[in-house]
Amino acid sequence: MKPIKVKLSLPVVGPLLDVIKGLADGLQSAPALPHAAPALEAEFSEMWAGDLLAAQNRDVDTFLALFGEEFFSEGAVYLNNGNAEAIVRACSAVRLCLRERFLQSVGDEALESGDIEMARLDDPTRQAFMCYLFLATMQELIIQQLDE
Amino acid sequence: MAQSKTHTLPEKRTAAALELQGLWRVVVLNDPVNLMSYVVLVFKKVFGFDESTARKHMLEVHERGRSVVWCGLREKAEAYAFTLQQWHLTTVLESDEAH
Repeated sequence: MKPIKVKLSLPVVGPLLDVIKGLADGLQSAPALPHAAPALEAEFSEMWAGDLLAAQNRDVDTFLALFGEEFFSEGAVYLNNGNAEAIVRACSAVRLCLRERFLQSVGDEALESGDIEMARLDDPTRQAFMCYLFLATMQELIIQQLDE
Repeated sequence: MAQSKTHTLPEKRTAAALELQGLWRVVVLNDPVNLMSYVVLVFKKVFGFDESTARKHMLEVHERGRSVVWCGLREKAEAYAFTLQQWHLTTVLESDEAH
C-alpha cells in the first residue's frame, strides 16, 4: 500500500483517544476475545494464550504510536505497509473491548446493523459508540488502501 | 530390568497418531463487531483466498453463523486457528469425526 497521511480533527478525536487509551491499558493483560485454545495440554494452552496476548500488545502499541507528538501538533496520522495490518487488528481488538465494556446496552443486533439512535444513548455510551465508529472508519480506510 | 513407566502401549500410540493425523475443521463463528470488509481481508491474507471465495465464506459466517474455512491435518489447523485468533476472529477447531 502507498503511504498515506490522514488528517483528523483534533477536537473530535482527542476525547475519543482518552477512552481508547483506557481500554488499551486493559488489553495489555487480557485478550480482546476469550480465545479457546483447541484441546491442548495445559502448558501449550498457556503458551497459546500468552503468544496471542503478546501479539495483541504489539498491535495495540503500534496503534497508540500513531497518536504521538506529531498527531497533536499536525492533527495527522501516517499509515504505511509497516503499520497498516497491526493497526487494523488493534482497531478490531479495541472495538471488541468497547462492545464488552460499554455497548452491552445497545444490543448486538443494533451494533451489527448500525441502526442506532445516538440521541437516545447516555453520555458514556455515546462516547464509546463514537470510538467504535471512529475505529471502524480507520479500518475501512486501511482495508481500502490494502486492496488497491 | 523394569520397563520405563513412560512406555506407551501400541494401541494407545496408534490412537494418538490417528488423532493427530485425522482431519480437523477450522470453523469461524459470527460476531457482531468485525466488519464484513475486515473478515474478507483476513480470509484473503490468511488463506490466500481470492475475493469471491473470501466473500463467500464471510457471507456464510454472517448469514449462517459459521463457516468451515479449512480442513486438514491438526497441526496446520491449529496454526490457522491461532492466526485467525490473532486477527480477533472467533475460531474453533472441530474433529472431522464429530460430523
